[in-house]
Amino acid sequence: MFTRFHFFQVFVFILLALLGFGLFHTQVLRGHYFRELGQRNRIRLIPLEAPRGRVFDQKERLLAANRPSYNVVAVPEDVTPEVYPRLAKLLDIPEKEVRRRMSAGREYPFAPAVIKEDIPRELAFRLEEKKPELPGVAIRVEGIRYYPYGEIASHVIGYIGTVNRVEYDVLDHDRFGVNSKIGRAGIEKAFDDFLRGWRGGQQIEVDARGQMVQVLSDRKPEPGSDITLTLDLEFQKKIMAMIEGKHASIVVLDLETEGLLAMASAPAYDPNIFVSPATSEQRLQVLKDSSSPMLDRGINAAYPPGSVFKLVTALAALDLGKITPETRFYCKGSFQLSPKAKVARCWLHEGHGSLNLYEALERSCNVYFWNLAKRLTPDEIAHYAHELGLGEPLKLEISRMAPGLIPDSSWKKARFKQPWYQGETLNMAIGQGYMLVTPFEILRLTSIIAKNGRVVEPHLVVRDPRMMHEAPHVAIQEHNLNAIRRAMLQVVESDYGTGQLARVDFDKLAGKTGTAQAPPEKAHSWMTGFFPYKDPKIAFVVFVEHGGSGGITSARLVKQMLEAWKDLHAAPAA
Amino acid sequence: MLRRLLSGIHFPLLFSVVALAVIGILFIYSASYRDPGNYEAKQVFWVLTGLTVLILVPWIGYRPVLSVSYPFYVLTLILLVLVDFFGSKVLGAQRWLALGPVVIQPSEFAKLGTLLAVVNFLGSHHPWEGQVRTVSIALMLIALPLILVMKQPDLGTALLFIPMAVVMLFLWGVRKRFLIAGFSALALAAPLAWGFLKEYQKKRLMVFVNPNLDPLGSGYTAIQSKIAVGSGGLWGKGYLGGTQTQLHFVPEHHTDFIFCVIGEEWGFLGSLLVLCLYGFLFHSIFLVMQHTTDVKAKMLCGGVLALLFSHVIINIGMTIGLMPIAGVPLPLVSYGGSSFIMTCMCLGLVLSVYKERSIF
Repeated sequence: MFTRFHFFQVFVFILLALLGFGLFHTQVLRGHYFRELGQRNRIRLIPLEAPRGRVFDQKERLLAANRPSYNVVAVPEDVTPEVYPRLAKLLDIPEKEVRRRMSAGREYPFAPAVIKEDIPRELAFRLEEKKPELPGVAIRVEGIRYYPYGEIASHVIGYIGTVNRVEYDVLDHDRFGVNSKIGRAGIEKAFDDFLRGWRGGQQIEVDARGQMVQVLSDRKPEPGSDITLTLDLEFQKKIMAMIEGKHASIVVLDLETEGLLAMASAPAYDPNIFVSPATSEQRLQVLKDSSSPMLDRGINAAYPPGSVFKLVTALAALDLGKITPETRFYCKGSFQLSPKAKVARCWLHEGHGSLNLYEALERSCNVYFWNLAKRLTPDEIAHYAHELGLGEPLKLEISRMAPGLIPDSSWKKARFKQPWYQGETLNMAIGQGYMLVTPFEILRLTSIIAKNGRVVEPHLVVRDPRMMHEAPHVAIQEHNLNAIRRAMLQVVESDYGTGQLARVDFDKLAGKTGTAQAPPEKAHSWMTGFFPYKDPKIAFVVFVEHGGSGGITSARLVKQMLEAWKDLHAAPAA
Repeated sequence: MLRRLLSGIHFPLLFSVVALAVIGILFIYSASYRDPGNYEAKQVFWVLTGLTVLILVPWIGYRPVLSVSYPFYVLTLILLVLVDFFGSKVLGAQRWLALGPVVIQPSEFAKLGTLLAVVNFLGSHHPWEGQVRTVSIALMLIALPLILVMKQPDLGTALLFIPMAVVMLFLWGVRKRFLIAGFSALALAAPLAWGFLKEYQKKRLMVFVNPNLDPLGSGYTAIQSKIAVGSGGLWGKGYLGGTQTQLHFVPEHHTDFIFCVIGEEWGFLGSLLVLCLYGFLFHSIFLVMQHTTDVKAKMLCGGVLALLFSHVIINIGMTIGLMPIAGVPLPLVSYGGSSFIMTCMCLGLVLSVYKERSIF
C-alpha cells in the first residue's frame, strides 16, 4: 500500500536526487567554464554612475549640464610595480599620491580605483597610446557636472562634491558609490535625490591581462530627472552685471506665478571649481576670501532693515486703529519721548513740518514713526512683522530658515535679562536696533502688500499652475494695505519722495527705500517695491551692503533693473 | 556506563552525524585558517557538546521531553521576544542573544520548541474529530514564532517553519482538501506578503529570478558562490587548495556558504559524498519512523526530517543558484553552536524513538 509515509519518502529522495543532478550540472558539465571564470577571478564589477539630471531656466536654457570627463583608473590587482613611477610622471603627481589612490577604499575586490579625475583630452590620448606599458591602467570617460554660466546663478544652483567615507557608509549603495558626487549647496543639494539617478553596473569577464572578454550581466544606469527653474537666465545675467563689484543682492519675483525671476548675490563664485579636483587651489581661495563669495546675501545674511521697516510700523498702527492715514504729526527735526529724554533727530534736520501717513512714508520721516512708536508696544510691532513674514521660516526650496531677528520684550528678557525700554521701541519703529532681516524676507513682505494680503511664498522650481492652491491671507484689513500701497506709489512718483531716482517712464512704480545705519562704516542701502502700481507683475528687493543712501544707490539699481525687465518681459503693446 | 548509554543507539544515524561533523570541522578550518577566530577549535567543542547531547537525549527518552514541550515552547518564545530587545545586531538583523559568555541564536531553539509543541498537541487529538479546530490551533502554535523570527528579520529561518508544519500535519492525517486549501491560500497570500518584505529581501528574491538586476549586490554573491562550487569540477582543487572562497569572494564562507568551500576543494565527488551522507541520515530517520507505531513519535521524526531536509535543500541549492540567497546554515557542517546543538537535540529525539521502538 502506498501510504503518506511512502509519499514523503519518495518526495525527499527525488528532491535530493535533483539537487545531486544540479551539482553534477554545475560542477561537471559546466565545471570547465566556471574554472575558467575563477582563474585569477575573472569576474570584474564595473559600477556605472548615472548621469545627473540637468537644470534649466524658465526658457529651457541650460544652467547645469554634464560634460565628458577623462578619468584615469587602475585595477590595483593588475598593476605591476613599475607602473607607479611611470603613471606619476605622466600625470605629473607624486608617486606617493598614486599609491595612496591605489590603496584607497574600494567597493569590491578588483574594482578600479580612481587615480586622477578630469585630465585633459590630449593627456588621455597619450595615456591610451602608452597602454602597453601600463598594465591595469585605463581611461574611463564619465559624465561630470558643468555649469556653463559660472557665477551667474551660482548661489541658486549650488555645486556638488564627492561623498566622503562616513556619508558613503550610510547611503543607499544603489545610488551612491565611493566616488559618487553629491549636491553640497543650492538646488544641487535640495534636489539631490531628484537629480540623482540610479547607478548601474556591469559584471564583466576579463582575460588574464585584465582585458574584457564579455559582459556577463549589465544594468544600465538610470539618469536623474531634469529640473526647470523659474529664473530667467538673461535677466539674471543683466542683474549680475549691475551689481558686479558690489556686495549686494537683488531678488525679483514674478507675482503671477510666485516664481523667482532673478536671485542674484554678489560677489559670487564659479561652481565649476568644486567639480574638478584640479581646481582645489581656486576652491581654497574662494573659501578663504574675506568678501565671502560663497554667502548668498539674499537669504543667508541678515541686516538691519532701516526705513523699509516703516511699512510694518505703519501697518501696525493703522490696523490697531491708533491712527488713520490722515492722522497728522508735526516734525520739527527732532523728537523727545519725554521732556527729560535724549533728543532724537530726524534725518532731515530742519524738519518735515506737518505730515499725514502718506507724506511720512513718502519722505521717510523718522519723527512721524517715533510718534507711532509712542503709541505701540514692541510686541505689537513684532506681531505685525511676523504676520508679514519677517522672522518666519521660508518655503524656498534651497533654504527654509530665516537667520534674521525680530526682537520683542520676551526676547530681550531672555537675551539680556533686562526689561524693554521705550526708547528701544523708537529704534524698532524705524528698523534699527536689534532687528535683523534678510533681503528675501523683505521681498516676501512687499509681495504680500502687493498681493493685497495674500501670503506669498516665493519658489524657484517651476510648478504646475494648477498646483497653486488658495493661499491664506494675512490678518490685516485690506483698506490698510491699500493705504500703504498708495504711500509706496508716492515714494517714487511724488516730487518729495525718497525713491524718485527709481522712477521709469513706461509705467508707475511703488516702493520704499531704506538707509540702515551700520556705523562705523557706510549705511546699508535698501529699496523694495512692486511694479507696475496697478495690477503689479513683479516685486523686488535691492540691497547693497554699505551702499550708502537707499534713495540713491539702490534706487538707481531699481531703475536699471526695471528697464532690463521691460526689455525682456513686458508685452510690447502694453 | 558508556556501554549502557550506547546500547540501543541507531548506529547508521550516529555514523552519518559524526561523518558530517568531521567534514564540517575540516572545512571550517579550510575556510578560516587565514583569519583570526579559531573557528575550527570552537567547532570541535560544539561538536563534542552536541554529540553528548545526542547520546543523552535517548537516555532521557522522547516522552518526558514531549511532556515538557509546552513550557519549552513558551521559553523559546520568550527568548525570541528578548532578542528583540537585548539582541545584538549583526549585519542589520537581530538574531543573537548573549547569555553570559555564550551567544545563542534563539531562532534555532524556536524551531525545536515549535516542533515539540505541535507534535504534542496534534498527537493528543484524533484527526477524525474536530479537525478544523485542532488544525487552527496547531497553525497558531506555528504562526507565533514564525512571525517573531520574521521580525528579526530572518526570512529564511522563518520560512523553514512551513515545510516542517506541512509534514507534521500531513503525517498526522490532515484532510487532503485542507492541504490543498492551505497551499492555495499561501499562493494567494504571497503577493500580499511581498509588501511586508524589507528592501534587501525583495532584492534577493528579484535577483534570484533575474540575476542581472543587481550585478553589484546580492547578484554578486550568487555568481561568486556558483563560480566557487563550479570551479571545483569533478575532482576539486584539493583540500585547502580553493582560491575563490579563500580570497573572500564568497562572504560568510565558514557559516552559511561552507558548501562553497567543500564544492570547490573536493569537487563533485566531495559534494556527492556530503549529499549521500545526508541521504543516509534521512534514510536512517525513515527507518526509525517505520519501526514505531506511536503517532507522536512518527510526527516527531517526520518534523525533524523535514527541518533538516529543507535546510540542506535551501543551503546547497542557493550555492548553485537553484534557490534564492538566504541565511540558512548547512546542518551539522556549518560553523555555529546553536545550530549544531539544536540539530543534535532533534536527532537525539529520533534516536530515542528508535530506542523505545515497538518490537514486532
